[in-house]
Amino acid sequence: MTGIMLDDRRVELLRMGEGEPILYLHGLADVHSVFEPGEPPPLLSQLAAGREVLAPAHPGYEGSGELGVHADAEDYAFHLLDVVDELQLDAVDMVGASLGGWLAVEFALRHPARVRRLVLVNPLGLHVPRAKTGLFFGAAAPRGIGGFAEVRSMLFSDAQSAVATEALPDDMSRERQLRWFGGLAAAARLGWRGPELRNPKLRGRLRRVTIPTLLLWGKHDRISSVEHARAWERELPDAELVLVPDAGHSVPLERPDVAFDWISSYLAHPSAPLTA
Amino acid sequence: MNFFFFHLMPWPDLPPPREFLREHEAAWVTLPNSLYDPTAGARLYTRYLDELVAAEELGFDGVVVNEHHQNAYGLMPSPNLIAAALTQRTERVKICVLGNALPLYNPPTRVAEEFAMLDVLSGGRLISGLVVGGGPEYYSYNVNPTEARERFREAVDLVLRAWTEPGPFPFEGEYYNLPYVNPWPRPLQQPHPPVWIPGLGSPGTIDYCAERGFGYMGVAYYAPPESFGRQAARYREAVARAGRPYEPENLGWLTTVYVADSDDEARADAYEPLAYFSGNLAAGFVGAGKVWMPPGYIDPPALVQFLEDLRAQAQATAGGDRREAAFLRNPLVGGVDTVRERLLALVQEHRLGTVLALMSFGNLAADKVRRSMELYAREVVPWVRERADAWFAEEFPHVATAR
Repeated sequence: MTGIMLDDRRVELLRMGEGEPILYLHGLADVHSVFEPGEPPPLLSQLAAGREVLAPAHPGYEGSGELGVHADAEDYAFHLLDVVDELQLDAVDMVGASLGGWLAVEFALRHPARVRRLVLVNPLGLHVPRAKTGLFFGAAAPRGIGGFAEVRSMLFSDAQSAVATEALPDDMSRERQLRWFGGLAAAARLGWRGPELRNPKLRGRLRRVTIPTLLLWGKHDRISSVEHARAWERELPDAELVLVPDAGHSVPLERPDVAFDWISSYLAHPSAPLTA
Repeated sequence: MNFFFFHLMPWPDLPPPREFLREHEAAWVTLPNSLYDPTAGARLYTRYLDELVAAEELGFDGVVVNEHHQNAYGLMPSPNLIAAALTQRTERVKICVLGNALPLYNPPTRVAEEFAMLDVLSGGRLISGLVVGGGPEYYSYNVNPTEARERFREAVDLVLRAWTEPGPFPFEGEYYNLPYVNPWPRPLQQPHPPVWIPGLGSPGTIDYCAERGFGYMGVAYYAPPESFGRQAARYREAVARAGRPYEPENLGWLTTVYVADSDDEARADAYEPLAYFSGNLAAGFVGAGKVWMPPGYIDPPALVQFLEDLRAQAQATAGGDRREAAFLRNPLVGGVDTVRERLLALVQEHRLGTVLALMSFGNLAADKVRRSMELYAREVVPWVRERADAWFAEEFPHVATAR
């Protein structure tokens, strides 16, 4: 792991591979929150086989300084502008999952010239009134005894699958707990205010995102259901939606091969018709 | 010495712990409020208010109420309403609201106003408790828990300035901006009512109380007994560091008390209500089940430590003797002689000037509560008071001469 400095604020950065850069914005259960540094998620290793992958930790996540007291989604977008400037990225392919998908679109709205193509994997951020929405922070409350099954059931289609229990094991080491709880606090700083992990203003703004966008969506997402996926598809002018079976909120962990195939082919040929 | 009578106003009608926890994950935040029966609730408020009024008649120095939301643990979402009733039903006792959860009030000058009202209504008998609020409350009120500590300290500054600085004045903070701070009425006690802060042992809170000259009231019944000893030592050291004289009454111990004619009788009576208290009512912020501890409410290292302690305690008692563990955490359960001697020893060991006795705990029946209050107030308190006051006068002569 390396880091970059934005004035006096550090940003933790995972940097892998060579070639055309991809800026990867991580989700709730992802690199920087559940993976050991030096053991990146399989999806990122696959992407890094042919491209340079740049994955910064969001403010407040392990190794990255926090934004100020009043920071909202717009400040996170300004923060990403600083990151993109510091990394000297011109028009970059952005892949954002979960929380990172929300931040990617907040950035793309305001700085469209800096984004070439957008891949959003089960993004948070869009409030869809009356859509089924799981309450993540309530599920993430710890238990005295009994581990992390409740929050796993929110993040994964199968809470007891190997992928889920390796990411959030019931007997998490102290070090991993610190990383996980630190990440939760960072997510809460931005997303605690209701509606949870959403920006109510986003809905009216999405029509301005004209960048070609792939929406990749785990069908069994309990935080952002398929109803959310359809709303994203409706609101974005140039988006295509792909539903991923046998996956929930954490597609990059649950179905890395499927995610890799879709992402790599879309980024190579964004205008080609999508086929499963 | 201060001997206070502390009430949580618990809901006593949940099924026993095991049965309860099969159906419900906690007594906080999400426990269906259909379980609250308003008709029984009316009788309960009457009973609990009568207990608080009886505390004055029995010679306690003060009564204590506190604030909790959306739970069966404590039925006072607004303790100030209960305190207002008490201003009219008592004449002598101090009335301590321990406390108002400042970050849940926006603007927190509401607390400055209501506490000033209570101080004036009571003829200057208010002790103002200021608290961050429990973790579950941040779920119930949807206040951002990552801001809890900073909001709290800013709000404390605002409340104290509102009481002491001639208004109107503008207040500019990170979280609160008020162009005209000018509360009517102002408190009767000058410069302001005493400030007490309850805590579970966070070193930051203890140091803060010492630096600001606030009382620190340690909540004892969830932790092993040596935990309060560490808190007391830290408070005394922090007071010395701050260059203040140590005033024993500013160090409080919040503990369950049950007195009967013999140790055996006391233990037999108290065990089930203690189990109900820790197993049912506290489920949701301590214990083996769901812990409504929101992200960022305490630092990750403190949270990990908190969970480790919970697990250690749960595992230690899972195989071993639960009864003994319960009585270890609640040492003031016993016959008159036992409680007298233990209390005096603890007062001297911790240089403790305030004891907040939780006597109507769990689902303890009203007649048992009343009998225990009488024994404690008539047989234990005068005996300990006489010896403790004499001991303090020798240990801390500056306190005696100041009076």
